[in-house]
Amino acid sequence: MLIQLSQVIASGLAMGSCYALIALAMVIIYKTSEVLNFAQGEMAMVSTFIAYTLLATYDIPFIIAFPLTLLFSLILGMIIEFLFLRPAKDPTLLGLIVITLGVEMILYGVAGWKWGAETKSFPSPILDTKVYNIKGVVVSQLNIWVFVVCIGLMLLLFLFFRFSKLGVAMKATAQNHMAARLMGIRAKRILSFTWGLSALIGAVAGVLIAPITLLDPNMMVDPLLKAFASAVLGGMTSMPGAAVGGGILGVVENLFGWYVSTEFKSVVAFVIIVVVLCVRPSGLLARHYVKKV
Amino acid sequence: MVSNYLKSVLVVFPFIISLTFFFGHSIASEIGVSEDTIKIGQWSPQTGPAALWGSVARGTDCYFKMLNAEGGVQGRKLKQYIRDDAYQPPRTVGAVKELVGRVGVFGFVGGVGTATGMAVKRYLHTRKIPWVGPASGSSRWANPPTRYLFALYPNYVDEAHILTSYAYMTLGKKKIAFFYQNDDYGKEGLMGAIETLKRYGTKLVGEVSVEPLDTDISSQILKLKMSKPDVVILWLLPKHAAMTMGAAAKMSFKPLWMTTSTLSDAPLMYRITKGLWDGVMFDSFAELPDSKTPQMIKYKKAHDEHAPRERWGMFFYAGFLFAEPMIEAMKRAGRDLTRESFVDAMETIKNWNGGIGHSITFGPNQRQGQRSTFLGKCEKGVAVRLSDWLEVKK
Repeated sequence: MLIQLSQVIASGLAMGSCYALIALAMVIIYKTSEVLNFAQGEMAMVSTFIAYTLLATYDIPFIIAFPLTLLFSLILGMIIEFLFLRPAKDPTLLGLIVITLGVEMILYGVAGWKWGAETKSFPSPILDTKVYNIKGVVVSQLNIWVFVVCIGLMLLLFLFFRFSKLGVAMKATAQNHMAARLMGIRAKRILSFTWGLSALIGAVAGVLIAPITLLDPNMMVDPLLKAFASAVLGGMTSMPGAAVGGGILGVVENLFGWYVSTEFKSVVAFVIIVVVLCVRPSGLLARHYVKKV
Repeated sequence: MVSNYLKSVLVVFPFIISLTFFFGHSIASEIGVSEDTIKIGQWSPQTGPAALWGSVARGTDCYFKMLNAEGGVQGRKLKQYIRDDAYQPPRTVGAVKELVGRVGVFGFVGGVGTATGMAVKRYLHTRKIPWVGPASGSSRWANPPTRYLFALYPNYVDEAHILTSYAYMTLGKKKIAFFYQNDDYGKEGLMGAIETLKRYGTKLVGEVSVEPLDTDISSQILKLKMSKPDVVILWLLPKHAAMTMGAAAKMSFKPLWMTTSTLSDAPLMYRITKGLWDGVMFDSFAELPDSKTPQMIKYKKAHDEHAPRERWGMFFYAGFLFAEPMIEAMKRAGRDLTRESFVDAMETIKNWNGGIGHSITFGPNQRQGQRSTFLGKCEKGVAVRLSDWLEVKK
């Protein structure tokens, strides 16, 4: 019984790390512009398709294809910000969020048109079928990678926002756009970069998830919803929060599926959103930020 | 000015009316049928989650092109109108209303999806529009039978029956578990399996479900593994089936996998599972891709000629299969084709083997055309036939 429990928790953590990665990407944009980016999933999906094309069509080795994908996603994020969000005149937050929904539909359509709907297997060097058996608990090579990358990225981003000049500038832009500009921060560029960085994290998530979920234009629909739930749970402005939220969600979902019912497994995520918003609207790890006038 | 305008309208309008009456009468006696064409509609997911099955409609299109090249049906060319509904029932309703109201089609063929088809079933029935071969195995097309709807796809209950008895009786596997998608599609399969085993005085050792949008199925696989089955029958989307293979391989869970005709595209499944699909058994209601029956060879040639860029797979030529009896009935109805004479001609089709299906039979109260499938197996990415046609014994 203990082995099964450990297995359920391990599987939950593995999936939770995937949610956490996408949640991280969402949090970065939310932190700097308070925009919920609903195109996050499709941005990651398109980047993953780019990686797929490089790997499968052009036979480029993973070690080169992966950085190229990251570069592409960085540019993709910046272009989306430049083309769709920046031209908005006197945008309200809601308006910007609706724009991201539009971007989501465009990317979804483009992917369907370019790569088709047929499910593809993603040629990754990190295998989900190569497994390690730790005292009866099975963990795959991919699971370990996702977990490590998730923790690593979270730490990196945390340090970046805390200590690097660019990171601090991003935080400053988030807190007071006008004041930041007056202090000589190029706020527009900062926003572009934020989108680029977020798309890049999303691409990492996409490439890591693709071997499990397989590759098609719908691959991110469910993970994005779960990532959103994770981010809400952990606190929309907190990097460690997103990671912890993802982990908790993955584990709770799997425990629920194992002990209660698989039919309502996915509903758990939404129950969590509702409960968190009622009880602790700012999430587990974020301080409620009140703008001072 | 105004009176002038009015005058011209008063003169021209009756003229136009009489003209349309005159020609309208001489050209066609039935909606969608003219001197030289028959208009047929089909909805199909060309985008969205089920776009993989969009090739059914393109298959029918290829079939019609082949027939038109041969001279058409009774001297009339077939004209197909495909509408993309993205697997969303509200869009199906819109598409069908447009095809009926604006285009004026004679009838419908194929149409992927259970929910999408259910959304227009009543509408088509009340307008007395023939619909042949919904591309879904729901038992609700033919049960209860309605005059204008003809189902071909063996229903999921029958399929589950054939698979389960093959596993239990022929292969002698006594411990059977079932992994299904939690909707009509999966539940009908589950029902068929439970009923069959009840007849043998036993029951499933495990029943596990998955939601269509889930991406994490690890706890489901763990549950299946704990039930220690010899055979697991899958009633899933291609994507979930592939994920199941991955997750099971990871936990070194190796039962015999069996699955439905919706997952019988062995080469495709073999490719997306990177070979894990090897050895999976499935049932199929149409000949396999490399079958050498004369009809299949002819269709393959039509594919090479009219749609060379399409993959020669199960879903593509299912588009031929769903339209075959429709064409046969049109031939039987003769030159004087109406919706009523078409339906009457459909009802004369008995034990018909002129296509790539098997023993298709319709009748006054019989709207499930095909009830037999055969077993196949994926061997190194190639679909291999295991059995002869198997019928449901009731």
